[in-house]
Amino acid sequence: MSKKAIVSLLILSMIAVACATEEEAVEEVAVEEEHDHSDESTLDEVIERGFLKCGISTGATGFSEQADDGSFGGFDVDFCYAVAAAVFGDYSKVEFKQLTSAERFTSLAAGEVDVLFRNTTWTQSRDTELGNDFGPTTYFDGQQLLGRKADGITESSTLADIDGLRVCTNAGTTTEKNITEGAGLAGATIELVTVEAFAEAVDKFIAGECDIITTDGSALVGRRAVNDALNDWVIFPTSPISKEPLGPTYRSNDSAWADVVNWTVYATIIADEYGVTSANVDSVDTDALPELGRLFGANDGELQTKMGLSADAFYNVIKQVGNYDQIYSRNLNPLGLFREGGANDRWTNGGLIYAPPAR
Amino acid sequence: MNLEFKKSITWMRENLFSSIPSSILTVATSFFVLGFFRGLFGFAMASDKDWLSVLNNMQLYMVQAYPEEDFIRVWISVGLALVFAGMSIGLWKSTEESSLSEVFSKFLRVSLAFLFFTVVAPTFSSVTDNDGIIQTEESFPMETRLQLLIPSAILVVVFFLLKNVKLNYKFNKSDLLCFYLAIPIVLLWIIKLPTIQLDSSNQRIIPDPLMPIADTTKTPWTIIFGLFLAFYFIGSRFKDSKNMKRIMSISWVLLPLFIFSWIFKKPEIDLPTILGQDIPIFIGIFLIGALTITFINNPIVEKYFSIYLGVLIAITAIALFISIPILLKSALLLLVLFTIVIPAVSSSAKGKRNLIIVWGVSLFTLSVLIRGGSSDTQIIVQQQSIFGGFSLTWLLAIFGTYVSFPLGVLLALGRNSKLPIVRIVCTGIIELTRSVPYITWLFFASVTMAVFLPEGVNFELVVRVLMVTAFFSGAYFAENIRGGLQSIPKGQYEAADAIGMSPFQKTSLIVMPQALRAIIPTLVSSAITAFKDSSLVTIIGLIDFLTIGKVIIGTQSIPVNFVGHDRENLLFIAFFYWIFTFTLSRRSMKVEKRLGLGER
Repeated sequence: MSKKAIVSLLILSMIAVACATEEEAVEEVAVEEEHDHSDESTLDEVIERGFLKCGISTGATGFSEQADDGSFGGFDVDFCYAVAAAVFGDYSKVEFKQLTSAERFTSLAAGEVDVLFRNTTWTQSRDTELGNDFGPTTYFDGQQLLGRKADGITESSTLADIDGLRVCTNAGTTTEKNITEGAGLAGATIELVTVEAFAEAVDKFIAGECDIITTDGSALVGRRAVNDALNDWVIFPTSPISKEPLGPTYRSNDSAWADVVNWTVYATIIADEYGVTSANVDSVDTDALPELGRLFGANDGELQTKMGLSADAFYNVIKQVGNYDQIYSRNLNPLGLFREGGANDRWTNGGLIYAPPAR
Repeated sequence: MNLEFKKSITWMRENLFSSIPSSILTVATSFFVLGFFRGLFGFAMASDKDWLSVLNNMQLYMVQAYPEEDFIRVWISVGLALVFAGMSIGLWKSTEESSLSEVFSKFLRVSLAFLFFTVVAPTFSSVTDNDGIIQTEESFPMETRLQLLIPSAILVVVFFLLKNVKLNYKFNKSDLLCFYLAIPIVLLWIIKLPTIQLDSSNQRIIPDPLMPIADTTKTPWTIIFGLFLAFYFIGSRFKDSKNMKRIMSISWVLLPLFIFSWIFKKPEIDLPTILGQDIPIFIGIFLIGALTITFINNPIVEKYFSIYLGVLIAITAIALFISIPILLKSALLLLVLFTIVIPAVSSSAKGKRNLIIVWGVSLFTLSVLIRGGSSDTQIIVQQQSIFGGFSLTWLLAIFGTYVSFPLGVLLALGRNSKLPIVRIVCTGIIELTRSVPYITWLFFASVTMAVFLPEGVNFELVVRVLMVTAFFSGAYFAENIRGGLQSIPKGQYEAADAIGMSPFQKTSLIVMPQALRAIIPTLVSSAITAFKDSSLVTIIGLIDFLTIGKVIIGTQSIPVNFVGHDRENLLFIAFFYWIFTFTLSRRSMKVEKRLGLGER
């Protein structure tokens, strides 16, 4: 009998072991909650940790890519590098987390990442309900449609012209909602085919299983260039059917950290306005250009030190990563996306890329 | 020659065209197979496929962002596994032999198949152009076909002649296996592959120049193969040693754990912790165990043994929930398991000495593994985890099976237990785990647990996933094992009781060996399922082998543009998974044969 008791105790203890790890988790929740109540900014956490945790997309051509040797690159990735350069003076102090669109906000809320640069559209509900705050828009995107010239689609086509056509898009995104709403308003009846990923939609489009594909304009332009179809495929309408401002996202009510992220982005824009690149940043005459002097920490850089950064934080950003134009052209020009004449042009050229003054 | 021909005609008449329905079936199936092959071949050869998107990303596939300066650790991991494989093939050397003509007939069959498929391969592939019109293009021109046909036809003739020359050489099947493995190694040194080269302005040079395989690939493989051969010969010298076989079996269990905790991970070890924490814990726990073994036959000890064991279990149970070093927790657990076994083991002085050695070695191994596993890694990667791609898939598959199999055994035994509480708890765990889809458990690990857990060490999410995986496949293993337990006749239990075996002895010596033996096919299929299911982690953002090909490669535009080349990568992934699962199922069939399953 006693042996039976022993066996049962053994099994109970095994079960206890299995639960142990979860039990530990519960213990640590209390710690985490205390942690939240303290007013420590993400900035202090990041500095203490010694590297930045940046949430990026699993894969978005031109925005966040992983190369064959495992290194990261892209428009969003470069802004992660820029924030790391501002905080640590070393752009490489980043740990990337590749997030699917479903888990990005939970991951941010759980503190698994400090900031999201994950082509995330700034919307009212995401800003107000989900406990996020959004930084300055780094890329103004908008939903467009792509069709074949052979099917009679031209650049001046509108949503009314897609009546009766099969439209492919990826499921569960705002893209799906936009096209249904837009087509309904234009009085067009469409057959909506939803697939899991945009790449699949393109495959279906090529195979002739749908007549139109729709998603953010940047992705459409990129795919058209890759498939060498500049003359065969048309992107329309000229002004997108939706506004998709993409930019950094961080947890709300953390202004010290928000300031760091925001002004890193602004610094790249201001440097671009002055034409300062990573190549010529060392030869800038800061006496002649006092705004740049302040931004690069010439006069003790008290603007930066008050933010909790080193005086030369933004100098490091420009030196190590580059200005807005460099980041843009390096990653997006090869895909056929150019700033000229678009929403992402300098404000002086009629675009929307604008930064408040550094003073 | 004539006789051979007649023989094959007779064979075909007997086996393929024995009646009208079977003739119809033969023809229909052949058409189906042929059509499938032609479709696949045409797909693969079409000009819009870029197979270099697979080749160029091999590193990403295997280790994702693992830094190049630490690649030696990856090679050591692979090397160790293959050295162990060589040693095992030597130790369990096959006694079967094949004659030379059998070998040549194998080669003949391979070259005949190659010849056949070269003949029937389609010349044209269809490609949809940008206007949506299907174009046919010549993707497999006649010259290429002839270039392949002539050598393969020559090979067919040569092997046919060699096969019929009555050469009376016999080769051991294990030796032959090593010879076959040498073929890809030799190929590594002679073949040239199209390689992506960038010009000065970072543009891809088209067409891709043919280059020999990089030294960084072929040199390590060659060295590893050399070691494989060396250890094969060492192993075959010891093939009669039972002890070596036993050591080898245990080493196979420990090898992956050691690779993941020490070699691949490169743990950060600080001497003060080892001296001030690990060594005292080791000595303390070791002494307790050793003293128990030494004095187990003392009447006083015997009298209070149950109380001692109860107290020990209680202490361990409490220790698991308080914050003490993880090494102490696991050492206590091992101590409990050991103490339970002690009375069942022989009480002679020699038996005791052996048991103390076993106890010391296993405690030491545990300490080493825990130290490596719980330390931070020194590998610097720019992403969350050092595991990614195939290394992650492998980690999930191995650990999933490793943890879940013992868990499954315990759960199955618990479910069959006569004690109601144990039975109810185990049944509850099994049914709860099985009633919820695996994906839901993954979301639980990713989302629900993440909210509770603080931002933790490097691969926190991976550990969480390992935990739910262990329970999930553990529940399935448990049900399989329960099926095996039920297949054992009642007489076996009664016989064990009749000769006075303890419940522990009965379970470990009589019941489990027979039960596990009966369910080897189900266990292997569970292991294969666990291996394939590991790809589901992609939905919670872990980058496994599948995700690399499906998502990451299809979005690469820098330095080489592979946007949209996801289909050839998916085909490659399917092939890669197939190689592993097929090998696994073939091996398990061999084991079944060796155990004489299905023959009684």
